[in-house]
Amino acid sequence: MRVPISWLRVFVALPRDSSEIASRLAMLGFPVEEIERRPRISGVVGGRIVELGKHPNADRLAIARVEVGAGEPLTIATAATNVAAGQSIAVATIGAQLPALRIERRSMRGVVSEGMLISADELALPAEWFEDGILQFDSGMVPGSDVVNLFGLADDVLEVEITANRPDALSILGLARELASSYGVALDAPSARNPGEGDEAAGERPNVVLDSPDCRRFVVQRFNGVVAGTAPAWMRVRLALAGQRPINTLVDVSNYVMLETGQPLHFYDAAAIHGSLRVRDARDGERVVTLDGVERALTAQALVIADERQTLCLAGIMGASVAEVAPSTNSILVEAANFNGARVRRTSKALALRSEASTRHEKSLPLALTDFGASRAAQLLTELGATAFAPRDYGARVAPASPIVLRLGEVARVLGLTIPRERITEHLRALGCTVEAADEALSVTPPLWRRDVSAPIDLIEEIARIEGYERIEASMPPVPAHGVSSDAFDLDRRTAQTLAALGYREVITLSLHGRRRSDRVARAGLTPEAEPIEVLNPLSEEQRFLRASLLPGLLEYLSAHPGNERIFEIGQIFSRDGSELRERTVATFGFAADAAADSWRDDAFLQLKGDCEALVRRVTGHGLTVQAATVFGMHPGKSATLSIADAQAGSLGCVDPRLSNAFELARNVYLCTLDLGALPPYQPPRYRVPSKFPSTYRDLAIVVDIGVAAAAVEATVARGLAPLGTAVSAFDEYRGAQVPAGRKSLALRMTLQRFDATITDEEADAAVAAVVRALEEEFGATLRA
Amino acid sequence: MTDLAESLERLRQRFSAQAEAAIDERELDSLRVRYLGRQGEVTQLRRGIGTLPPDQRRDAGKAINDVVAVMEGRLAAASAALQARSFETELASSIDVTFPARKARLGSVHPVRQIIERTCDYFMRHGFAVVLGPEAEPEYYNFDALNIPADHPARENFDSFWLSDGLLLRPHTSPIQVRTMQRYPPPVAIVAPGKCYRRDATDARHLFQFHQVEGLLVAEGIHFGHLKGMLEGLCRELFGRRQKVRFRPSYFPFTEPSAEVDTTCPKCSGAGAPQGTRCGMCGGSGWIELGGAGMVHPNVLREVQYDPETYSGWAFGFGAERLGLALYDVDDIRRFVTSDPDFLVALS
Repeated sequence: MRVPISWLRVFVALPRDSSEIASRLAMLGFPVEEIERRPRISGVVGGRIVELGKHPNADRLAIARVEVGAGEPLTIATAATNVAAGQSIAVATIGAQLPALRIERRSMRGVVSEGMLISADELALPAEWFEDGILQFDSGMVPGSDVVNLFGLADDVLEVEITANRPDALSILGLARELASSYGVALDAPSARNPGEGDEAAGERPNVVLDSPDCRRFVVQRFNGVVAGTAPAWMRVRLALAGQRPINTLVDVSNYVMLETGQPLHFYDAAAIHGSLRVRDARDGERVVTLDGVERALTAQALVIADERQTLCLAGIMGASVAEVAPSTNSILVEAANFNGARVRRTSKALALRSEASTRHEKSLPLALTDFGASRAAQLLTELGATAFAPRDYGARVAPASPIVLRLGEVARVLGLTIPRERITEHLRALGCTVEAADEALSVTPPLWRRDVSAPIDLIEEIARIEGYERIEASMPPVPAHGVSSDAFDLDRRTAQTLAALGYREVITLSLHGRRRSDRVARAGLTPEAEPIEVLNPLSEEQRFLRASLLPGLLEYLSAHPGNERIFEIGQIFSRDGSELRERTVATFGFAADAAADSWRDDAFLQLKGDCEALVRRVTGHGLTVQAATVFGMHPGKSATLSIADAQAGSLGCVDPRLSNAFELARNVYLCTLDLGALPPYQPPRYRVPSKFPSTYRDLAIVVDIGVAAAAVEATVARGLAPLGTAVSAFDEYRGAQVPAGRKSLALRMTLQRFDATITDEEADAAVAAVVRALEEEFGATLRA
Repeated sequence: MTDLAESLERLRQRFSAQAEAAIDERELDSLRVRYLGRQGEVTQLRRGIGTLPPDQRRDAGKAINDVVAVMEGRLAAASAALQARSFETELASSIDVTFPARKARLGSVHPVRQIIERTCDYFMRHGFAVVLGPEAEPEYYNFDALNIPADHPARENFDSFWLSDGLLLRPHTSPIQVRTMQRYPPPVAIVAPGKCYRRDATDARHLFQFHQVEGLLVAEGIHFGHLKGMLEGLCRELFGRRQKVRFRPSYFPFTEPSAEVDTTCPKCSGAGAPQGTRCGMCGGSGWIELGGAGMVHPNVLREVQYDPETYSGWAFGFGAERLGLALYDVDDIRRFVTSDPDFLVALS
């Protein structure tokens, strides 16, 4: 909200410095986003044109004689066309400083001009919001008066942020009240007296029917003899400084009251109204042309104000053009109503129509504001010559809130600061509360305009705010023992730290993606496993779906950064399990690598597998079992599932080259995914004391069918060697011309050792011979020549 | 002079000349083999001792041994000289130690994780547990249980991505507070880091996907002063010991009193506009916003069956990327999601 400091000063005495006021507001909970500095303007005084004549030497110039208080009238040449004798205007006298120039005595075509007549632009007001030419002031302005002081043009304007709980502060008066209580000075609030009060011209009192409980209160008042002319300069200037364009007297009064008090008003042209006003649900399909000229189709969700013939207003949001005030208008109905904020918000959202009124109404305004707003409008309209009739009110009565009992000990318990009873009382009174002392407690009735204060904790916050948060001393809390576990975080963190130690860099990709990803999968000739999960209200098409895997995001990353990065990500992936959404935390890591020389030998895969083993061991204490498997998106012959402690916990392999290609990757990509939720709890490794006796080893080269897994061979060898074998490991594989088609050669190293004596060559040879027989039996293995 | 003595002397002279001329250990080794080895010339002579008359054998043996000793001495001296010369050459060499290093191939964790871990470490040292939670959360945990009923105007501040009626991507990590308090009886002391989502247009200061670190302490006797103490400690831990922290009143439905927490801008050290130019980090205010905090609202405590008359507590929620901007002097918050290798390397 734009807050001209000059407008605040109408109600409260404030320091000169805008920055001081801004920081005070911030410390009250109303942060100032911007201080709009006003230019320094001086030497501009009020004037009256006493005489206007033609310039002797120039057709386009006129010579005005302008009275500026003391001394002789000034002679001023002007090119403006909207000037006439008798007008009150402003004059920049010799030596005056304007935003863009300094006024000096100069001769205009032979006539010495002793100043300059002023337009809105020269006072740093938006020129397009004011009359073309010389700015017209009210006849009451005293010639010679200082225009800058009179209209508060030197004071800066604050852009203040108002939190959703404080619609009462969405007004000049509300903020002035906050500042007054904080500075401990008086608030000079305008009178709440309605000048129409007591008038009993019953015929002029409109009838209103409330058909919906969502209209809580409706104050209506008729005014005759209104003129939709140009509003007084002081009002126009204040509105302009507050960012509101002046339109005409009636619209301006309505806006002025809303900005000043926070109560939105609606003015109806009384001549356009037929019979009683009715506040009711809209009918489905009901159409209305709103003041912005747009025809809108309504549903029953909208609340409208209608007469016997037509829809006159979208309640709390915007009027209809049928009853819009116009230059021809001479009598009006003023509505100051209170609506259910939620309903206003829903309708405003559904119609995509927000207004200054709806942003206030949707926060549910206090009931009492209706009468106050109506009174302020009545005061201004009568000052401008209108005749006010008595206001009528419908709906809920304005009644004080019930008192809140605030135990004094509670204040200290919550804040950690003991504030004396007198001081607490003082703070609350400054905010408008009625405070009565009770035993070790206070009985507090919040003011009518504070709907947000209803419980002791609300009062404690108010006390802290006015006392100042900085008064509360910082101290370290005693943190008691508790039973909450950090296991999930520990696992997440150990996984990340281990992958970093293994040389991988963590990246964070987006969880939401667009159709482009599914298109890529399709381009690769793959059919996705499941329909992607859709976001109902994405901001852009690029946020339409929730990721089902980290893989595409990482492929995009590797494609964008074709270096030798080893990367990982830990994040949530989403899938559907029937109607339920399933969410899992996974870690995916890997890298791009060049194709291997032999199609059947793949060091990159083995490297990835080695990293995976190291990770799993570090994180769980367990080993890893890898089994060939078909995994979506992976090369069918180079992918595997992995299990830990007999439970499946992820997969690894080479990404399907068609998919990598669809992601514009020139190289193969190797990725491993661990399902962190499927990992067994950490089990510390056990130390096995090594034998004191020396070991020996034997290498074995056998030929088996290509389909025989090295792990199966190792298992058979280990079984055959027991209890002499301490390690078995395949270390080389060969396929090609030197072995029969369909077969491969496998080289293994076996380490043999006894725990009770030195193993002899004879023992080792005998054990190996037994192993060779077992391999022959089980796999049809032959010894390689 | 006997024949043997003459032979020995010739041998010795030849050997000496050759040993002197040897240029490396290999040559010395071959000399050793040639003269002193199993088939060596001296060994051959020694074998001839048996053919001598018994009374000469003793002298002959001694003469050979003497020559062997001399030869071995020569070999050792020559070897030592060679080694000394080679050290001399080696020591005379030098390198340019200022030449750029070979880069280590270390991995790293993401800057956001570094911030989260540093924050969690601080709280864990003070007895807090770290709790994680799901990202797709029912409306109940995101709003209703946090004193934000349907139609509450504050829901506007949490513009969220909805997945179905009642289910959304969490716009804050606060659902974890509710889940934790429902699962554990008081007291609880937790930090909850995690990814959050809001329908914010992406720009240099905003992301629609970001991380929050949330904290919650509920026990008997916990007050606002404790919140200040704990968060001041955190800021000093993250930014340095001279850091100042400011609490401004604000409004969140789930806390009361509520506060916005600011800390001294690390870029301009709180000066705001040094030399008249507005600091680009804090916009000239001298403060940067860390996030929201406050005393847990009694309605939230009631919702999880904690008695607000007995227990009180505070909560806070900071944006990790926002912290990162200030901590690492990053110009654009989007760098945290693009995760360019250069960015990751620079901040690892």
